Amino acid sequence: MGSPPILAVLAVIVAKALVVIVVLLTAFAYMTWLERRLISRFQVRIGPNRVGPFGLMQPLADGIKLFFKEDFVPAGADKVLYYLAPGLAMVTAFTAFAVIPFGPPDVQLFGVPLFQISNPNAGILFVLAVTSIGIYGIILGGWSSNSKYSLLGALRSSAQLISYELGVGLAIVGVVLLAGTLQLPEIVKEQSGFFFGFLPRWNIFVQPLGFLLLLIGATAETNRPPFDLPESEQELVAGFHTEYGGMKFAAFFVAEYVNVITASGVATTLFLGGWQGPFVDQFPILGPLWFVVKIFAFAFFFIWIRATLPRIRYDQLMDVGWKLLVPLALLNLAITSVIVLIWPSLGGGS
Amino acid sequence: MGMNTNGNPVLTTTVEAFEKLINWGRANAVWPFQFGLACCAIEMMATASARFDLARFGAEMMRASPRQSDLMIVAGRVSQKMGPVLRYLYDQMLEPKWVIAMGDCSSCGGVYNNYAVIQGVDKIVPVDVYVAGCPPSPDNLLYGFMKLQEKIAKDHPLRSQKVLKELKTL
Amino acid sequence: MLSEYLSILIYMILASGITLVVIFANKLLGPSRPSARKSAAYESGIKPTGTARERFHIRYHVIAMIFLVFDLEIAFIYPWAVIYKTLGWAGFIEMMIFLGILIIGFLYAWKRGAFTWE
Repeated sequence: MGSPPILAVLAVIVAKALVVIVVLLTAFAYMTWLERRLISRFQVRIGPNRVGPFGLMQPLADGIKLFFKEDFVPAGADKVLYYLAPGLAMVTAFTAFAVIPFGPPDVQLFGVPLFQISNPNAGILFVLAVTSIGIYGIILGGWSSNSKYSLLGALRSSAQLISYELGVGLAIVGVVLLAGTLQLPEIVKEQSGFFFGFLPRWNIFVQPLGFLLLLIGATAETNRPPFDLPESEQELVAGFHTEYGGMKFAAFFVAEYVNVITASGVATTLFLGGWQGPFVDQFPILGPLWFVVKIFAFAFFFIWIRATLPRIRYDQLMDVGWKLLVPLALLNLAITSVIVLIWPSLGGGS
Repeated sequence: MGMNTNGNPVLTTTVEAFEKLINWGRANAVWPFQFGLACCAIEMMATASARFDLARFGAEMMRASPRQSDLMIVAGRVSQKMGPVLRYLYDQMLEPKWVIAMGDCSSCGGVYNNYAVIQGVDKIVPVDVYVAGCPPSPDNLLYGFMKLQEKIAKDHPLRSQKVLKELKTL
Repeated sequence: MLSEYLSILIYMILASGITLVVIFANKLLGPSRPSARKSAAYESGIKPTGTARERFHIRYHVIAMIFLVFDLEIAFIYPWAVIYKTLGWAGFIEMMIFLGILIIGFLYAWKRGAFTWE
């Protein structure tokens, strides 16, 4: 087989990108629906049910309303940054998802793997880098809107995000040590097979501490309760997006929910065997299905803890980040590096 | 937006269909402004809680910022000192916006027939729906809310009043 | 390898297109009734006083500095982790020395109260 025509390759890449964007946007819309329905159930309420069956049209109604809201820029705002900030948050949220594989890489069309936007060798490092840029969206949004609440919310938010970034970054090193690569499909492939013949060879069983640290860190990184300090209504109105209304506010919302999906995707890929599941080897098309099931489990978990846990205080937040997460992550790193040398076959692969 | 359809039937039908869609979205995604003034606020909270559940109408998203909210529920009596603040908050909300005067006090002053309380919040902000009661029970507020939804559904977001008047004379 | 980043670029351009639509939708579709009061900053219904770009607590600066140091360390740890299996025990000892220095600095910052938030 000769090299495929370049136009066909480009068409596949563009189509793939479009499909992923549309799916992410739909997933965002229905995550808001799922969240409202589930929170209602947790609070012995019914939740949105007037528009469409089970209120399924609710995200659409919200979207239409937001699209036809008034355009607004506060006086004294830095206009360019004010418009740039939500866009930056949204684009980086989408971009971070680009390297996450949601299916086996062997499924290809014209030599292009279908179930992943891109597979650079920096892999997981790319996710960390892009989500770090996403913090700019928050701090610029808060600073540019010329409001005290926004500025304080943005400061708190960025301090929180950078603190938990360390814990997440160090927790992931354990998996990289086991796999010996940064490429996410390789990491998933090394989690195939079983321990003792029945337990899936997922990293969560090898790295339970790392998984826990990543889970806590991801909750804080995505501003989800109980770490939603940046938007605590009682102190800061709506945090960094106090002065944002209409679709610009929705862009921050999109960014938050897409970040939740990406964080779930990273946790799934690194610790829960990614797309792996029964019968994936025979029918590769099942890969995305298992991936979605695992993402859904994470989404449910995030909503569940929102309904369960009260918001923590800011000093407690910083204490957890710096005095608990970072030392534990360093400990995890040291232990894992010893185990990898003593028992090289543990992580599978090379 | 003042769209002139010039009596063109196809264009009129299209615009009407779009208006229906926009109204449907707006009526079913009314996010209330999160604040309460007096005892009616307790009933408002009850409306959002279990048993009554404002969330069924997609309206449990109480936003704390006026930029993100569409509906101001004036829940309680408005004192003369609170009046300017209320008006300021109303001014800061983004179009389109609606106001429900909840309870007798905010509708007409209620039992507080004195110099300290504004005799009806419609003296300072345009009110869409009045809910009677002292305080109104949550189902009263829900009924008022549904009335507001009906009112929104009758709106003409794409055509200005002038165009509509011309249409009627045609 | 370049093609991998090319597909990310294409994906980013498409995502930016959607984002542009989202950001400027209200400008095209929404009503516009600006007023001086509406565009004033939200301060709970009171006329805003003073500048919004206030001075803020020095502690945010300290946190940011410590973060920078640690984030650089993490950037060093990742390449090490990738080739760790070929480095063997020598790599382990080197990294423990590296982390040891890091932890001494961390404990110093902790002792000086850099992470205490009151």
